[in-house]
Amino acid sequence: MNCSKLQQCRKIVIFFLQFIKNNNKFAHDLKKTISSFYSRMNTITKNIFKLALVAGIIFFAASLISKSVDIHQLKVDGYSAETIEKPLFGTDEIVYEAPKEVAANDAVATRVKWSLLLFVIILIMVIANAFDISALTAKLTGKQAINSNNVNKWIMLIFLVVGLSATAWEYAVHGKHALLGNASSEHGAIYDSMFNITLILTTIVFVITQILLFYFSFRYAKKDGQKALYYAHNNRLEVFWTIIPAIVLTLLVLRGHQTWRSIVYADVDGTKSTNIEIFAFQFGWNARYAGDDGILGVADYKFISGKNKLGLAYEPEVDSLVVELKAAILSDQQALDNLPKTLESLKADWQAAKDMQDQEAMSSIKKEIEEINCGDRKDDLNASIKRKTKQLERIASIKKDPAVYATYFTKAEEDDIVTQELHLVKNKLVTFKFRSRDIIHSAWLPHFRAQMNVVPGMPTRFTFMPTKTTKEAKAENGPDFEYYLYCNKICGTSHYNMKMKVVIESQEEVDAWLKTQQPAFKPMPAVIAVPAVYLKDSATMTKDSSKNITKKKLALR
Amino acid sequence: MSTETLTATHTHQDEHAHHEHHEPSFIRKYVFSTDHKMISKQFLITGIIMGCLGMLMSLLFRIQLAWPDESFGFLESLLGKWAKGGKIDPNYYMALVTIHGTIMVFYVLTAGLSGTFSNLLIPLQVGARDMASPFMNMLSYWFFFASSVVLLSSFAVETGPASSGWTVYPPLSALQKAMPGSGLGTTLWLVAIILFIVSALLGGINYIVTVLNMRTKGMSMNRLPLTIWAFLLTACLGLLSFPVLLGAGLFLIFDRSFGTSFYLSDIYLNGIGAMTNSGGSPIMYQHLFWFLGHPEVYIILLPALGITSEVIATNARKPIFGYSAMVISLLSIAVLSFIVWGHHMFITGMNPFLGTVFMYVTLIIAVPSAVKTFNYLATLWKGNIRFTPAMMFAIGLVSFFISGGLTGIYLGNAALDVQLHDSYFVVAHFHLVMGSAAIFGMFSGIYHWFPKMFGRMMNNTLGSIHFWLTFASAYMVFFPMHFMGLAGVPRRYYQFSLIPEFGIWMNVNIFITVSAFLGGAAQLLFLYNFFRSIFKGKPATQNPWESNTLEWSAPIKHLHGNWPGDIPAVYRGPHEYSRPDRDLDYFPQHEVGNGEPVHYEAPAETQKTYASDNKDSATKVFFSSFAHLFLLKKA
Ligand code: HEM
Ligand SMILES: [Cu+2]
Ligand SMILES: [Cu+2]
Repeated sequence: MNCSKLQQCRKIVIFFLQFIKNNNKFAHDLKKTISSFYSRMNTITKNIFKLALVAGIIFFAASLISKSVDIHQLKVDGYSAETIEKPLFGTDEIVYEAPKEVAANDAVATRVKWSLLLFVIILIMVIANAFDISALTAKLTGKQAINSNNVNKWIMLIFLVVGLSATAWEYAVHGKHALLGNASSEHGAIYDSMFNITLILTTIVFVITQILLFYFSFRYAKKDGQKALYYAHNNRLEVFWTIIPAIVLTLLVLRGHQTWRSIVYADVDGTKSTNIEIFAFQFGWNARYAGDDGILGVADYKFISGKNKLGLAYEPEVDSLVVELKAAILSDQQALDNLPKTLESLKADWQAAKDMQDQEAMSSIKKEIEEINCGDRKDDLNASIKRKTKQLERIASIKKDPAVYATYFTKAEEDDIVTQELHLVKNKLVTFKFRSRDIIHSAWLPHFRAQMNVVPGMPTRFTFMPTKTTKEAKAENGPDFEYYLYCNKICGTSHYNMKMKVVIESQEEVDAWLKTQQPAFKPMPAVIAVPAVYLKDSATMTKDSSKNITKKKLALR
Repeated sequence: MSTETLTATHTHQDEHAHHEHHEPSFIRKYVFSTDHKMISKQFLITGIIMGCLGMLMSLLFRIQLAWPDESFGFLESLLGKWAKGGKIDPNYYMALVTIHGTIMVFYVLTAGLSGTFSNLLIPLQVGARDMASPFMNMLSYWFFFASSVVLLSSFAVETGPASSGWTVYPPLSALQKAMPGSGLGTTLWLVAIILFIVSALLGGINYIVTVLNMRTKGMSMNRLPLTIWAFLLTACLGLLSFPVLLGAGLFLIFDRSFGTSFYLSDIYLNGIGAMTNSGGSPIMYQHLFWFLGHPEVYIILLPALGITSEVIATNARKPIFGYSAMVISLLSIAVLSFIVWGHHMFITGMNPFLGTVFMYVTLIIAVPSAVKTFNYLATLWKGNIRFTPAMMFAIGLVSFFISGGLTGIYLGNAALDVQLHDSYFVVAHFHLVMGSAAIFGMFSGIYHWFPKMFGRMMNNTLGSIHFWLTFASAYMVFFPMHFMGLAGVPRRYYQFSLIPEFGIWMNVNIFITVSAFLGGAAQLLFLYNFFRSIFKGKPATQNPWESNTLEWSAPIKHLHGNWPGDIPAVYRGPHEYSRPDRDLDYFPQHEVGNGEPVHYEAPAETQKTYASDNKDSATKVFFSSFAHLFLLKKA
């Protein structure tokens, strides 16, 4: 510590000493208030209060310490802390190779952050007390230290200036990301101009009215001897400021109407655009292209099976689904009949687990026993049978009536191509036909100003024309840029991670890409690579079904 | 501070003279009270507690949004299995967001706000001894209380509370297996909401009847304080729209538990298979929900606007500018609010023509809102403003109403909504115009009527600090969210670090969270001030704000029946502040005048001398205010 700093410290200490000396009345009041506060609380509440305070501090300290210990232990165990810890202001990707100091710094930074928060809270409590006491002092001494009305009036003005500057800063710094740059679609350009008009108008109104509000507050703050103007109404003025907003809003809404039309009526009769089906499920997207025949085959949720994820009306698959369903009903039935036996064996298992002191197994078995005892298992199995029977009935009724049969099984689905990425052609009108398997999702393509809900049981669609290829966008935004389609309607646990990559290319590129994708049910050439979709799907399938099998085993025992 | 049944005074009270009086038991007085003042306090305290919980939830999930990849030991100790490893579980995150929204919208800003101030002010300001049906009023509170308990109890459920958003859209909320929160948690949510609706209806009917039938002598409709107009219209909105939510909720319960298909069709659920439901429409739920949902935002906002109207008039010492325009705009907002619900559904796939219609009516509703804003500004103009905390919160409300209202012009535009729907822009919009504005109205009301409720004053300095911290932090939290939304950040996302595009917002998210904590800390000031002042505040004077309205004529010490002796009659409107023909700058409604006119219309000549700029025309007055501003002309 150098000399000048020491001197400063001395000055501060002397200042405080003098302050206390000069204000021993203040100190006295402080003591008096605090002691009266305490004396009012009976011993029990006092102790609870103290305990809570101490517990809070200990709890807080413990959480900080435990965190640092965590890191320490991880290092000892031979894991590197870096795989867990991430940079403070988390960037886009997990950084596996961060230098060791970063992790340590992070831990420190976290602690600093939390201490800061605690500090702010305590500070505010202290301020609260101080002001309370100063008010008390003011009352006791009969003096009003400051004219709070004047202070507040000036803060009004300061707030206005700071607020407007901050707004300007936001417009400049964050505003440049607004709408993610220029639109990448045809209607997007119209959209952007509508947006800009609204932005300019509202910003003007925002600035003027906020200025008036705070300026009036400042200008007409209470003064001694000033009397407000008795001015209760002025019809002309009121008509004036009813009509002006009405006119402005009318202009906006007319323009909005135009923009809306350009978005929703891009292809009313569906003749100008290519159809692509966008299929949503918990939690992912598929796109379905029509294939060589240019027609999207019929699909129905009733036909969905492990191998036919989109439920296309492909007869062989539907038939095997029927077989599967019948088998499943049988096994459900068997499980139902075997419930008493299952219960017995579960009880035996439980005893065995108890002998082996296997707590985990005990609790899971107990849960199952409870499920059976309270009838949940029975209800589930019955419901499952009912569901599947109904599904079979419905499938049968489709197949029975030749007219209905013909509308479903058109063979148009055989060459449909199901993909996990969406590739679109630049400058070509495309219509998305949305279908949801389970929950309402929403397909949002922010770069294209396109969004539409995906509703189970209700087909929706959206037509637009992409105008900027991914390559062009990358040139503008950097090599890491990608277009995405996000889910934008809360749909469950992994809603936040439900997106599909979108690629805009030339016609040739899209065609070439489609060639690499496997048609859904085209009679297969001798050797084929299994498309990624099904690889992944069958993987999850086997996982699911293996779970089911163990369940069934349990049930059948 | 307490509701004192007449002990010394009751002999003077003619109405009660006939029957026996005795001190009611503790339970009748503090718990199952039928006195509107006590019920109002019950609503307020419950609302404050719920508000604290709602705020704590928002702080918890803000931690997740700011530091999505870090873990915090204390979260695990606090939330147990829902924050394994110190990181909030995605399902629990959604549950927190859902319950936060539900609590804030229904429990704090509907029951907490209307329940408190309608109950306190309607009888006192219209001059009635109590509500039309005190018993129903008591039931209203206890249904609300039961509803709060049921809602909060869902945190004790193994699968967690409802987590499909405060709108609980089916099928997510209808399929018990769609996510953990859609199990028992959603059932409890629905039960809670049904109890809540019962409470709102019991309260609403009471408010309407009391205002229409129990006004004191001379209290014609055009002498009602704007608070009462707002409460009346709010109650009408609630009465007409809550039953629709009740229906929607019952259908949802049927779909969930009894196998009906109101909202369900063509569903294949993971792990279950094809469901049998067919023929229902999930969109129908949205229509029903938003038929309540949109009026609901005005149920939240109108009382706040009513409160600020009175607070601004009182503290600017001016008549509210354009009383009839204020009433007409309240009325037209109330009526229009019933036909704009579709603006929440522009992109659900409804007929584009319908979208057009909803866009037109939505932008029409902006006109009365604009009128209100300008009238507030004109009320401040040439006032003599006292910055009580209540006044500052009222000014804050106007500021939020402007900021949030303007973004409504984007969202009401069907075309623009295509991009903005369900983005953070929406979160910013509704938090400003509905959340912050209404909360500020509530704070304004609390600071203003605290002396009436508890017979003591709150500390003004603390109140000012509370205001400035809250005001700044609210803007710091919600203003940047506009820009996130515009840059394509969706709402209701648990974690943004999985999507590289959102990386640029990490710092902003941290800033928002830290600001939210600042705002949260500021509320500690309020709590301290509030609860301390109940017991130790400076004793209130009869009419601490020198206000005109009737409630300040009632004794400081609460009486059952409000006024000893006759209810005062009313001789003029509520806003006769700073009349040039009087020395005092206020003129209480119940004060018998000396033949003064009811409304003072300054003769043209004198008006000129008062308004030096108001030489000839109204437009000039308007523009002269700009002149002050930009040319710094001396007023
Ligand atoms: C303490 C200050 C508050 C903070 C920091 C805060 C923050 C948030 C955040 C970050 C969300 C999640 C947005 C999303 O992902 O969709 C949210 C949701 C919400 N908040 Fe707040 N909020 C606060 C106060 C309020 C108030 C006063 C209201 C009253 C209207 C409110 C009503 C809502 C609603 C209705 C939702 C939507 C819930 C849903 O998506 O289902 N919040 N809040
Ligand atoms: Cu989703
Ligand atoms: Cu609305």
